[in-house]
Amino acid sequence: MIHAWLPYVLCALLFSVGVYAVLSKKNLIKIIMGIIIAEYAVNLFLILLCWRKDGEAPILHPGAVGQVMVDPLPQALVLTSIVIGLATTAFLVAIAMRLHDRYGTYDITRIRELRG
Amino acid sequence: MAIHSDEGGMTLVVKTVTRLTVGLIFLYGVYIVLNGHLSPGGGFAGGVIIALSFMNLVLAFGGKKAVEIVKKNAVTAMESIGAILFLGIALLGFTEGGFFRSFLSQGETFKLISGGTIPLSNIAICIKVGAGLFGIFLTLMVLMGSERKEK
Repeated sequence: MIHAWLPYVLCALLFSVGVYAVLSKKNLIKIIMGIIIAEYAVNLFLILLCWRKDGEAPILHPGAVGQVMVDPLPQALVLTSIVIGLATTAFLVAIAMRLHDRYGTYDITRIRELRG
Repeated sequence: MAIHSDEGGMTLVVKTVTRLTVGLIFLYGVYIVLNGHLSPGGGFAGGVIIALSFMNLVLAFGGKKAVEIVKKNAVTAMESIGAILFLGIALLGFTEGGFFRSFLSQGETFKLISGGTIPLSNIAICIKVGAGLFGIFLTLMVLMGSERKEK
């Protein structure tokens, strides 16, 4: 028997993993991975909010006319959120590559002096 | 264009497997796009899958060969064409009385040819997203190539 609150706890746990990676890791690539994990935990939370008991995917097909369906609005929102996340991830990766270009390292404790 | 390609891609195993699978990945993307109004998926998801098939080619066969086939300017042009197509489909709705209004017949429900202009919009979004994602990938490859060159 799965409790109704369990997915939310796991979602919060996933978000914590992302925040932990951002706060404690020194490698820039791992920090970017942490940001991505936190972002997807938020997406998962929004998808969980639209769940209904015995709900089907909100797509009409011949066998499922008139059945209970989950709310499609958060799904459309999350699709937009995924696209924006893709763009920001590409931006972060480009900045990280430029930093590696200048300093020769991904370690944030060694990226301190002004150079270039 | 300074693209990182030391010996032209990965090992023979990777190249052979890529040659076998890349067409299937591309066809799956096309299927997702064309059935976007009937089943999960659509222009965005199918466009991402099609862009991934091109990325697979670039990674397996090295940047230089792939960029010879697909120029970066061509990718930018494709992206713009996708956006213009989408806007054009939306503007053609004015012939039926409004923005985004369907000007095609509705067709038979749950059949492949149905949904008015939505399949056409899906194809336009697919071109836009696929070209955009592949453009980002090519730009990062160029960035990496210039980084290797400075060392």
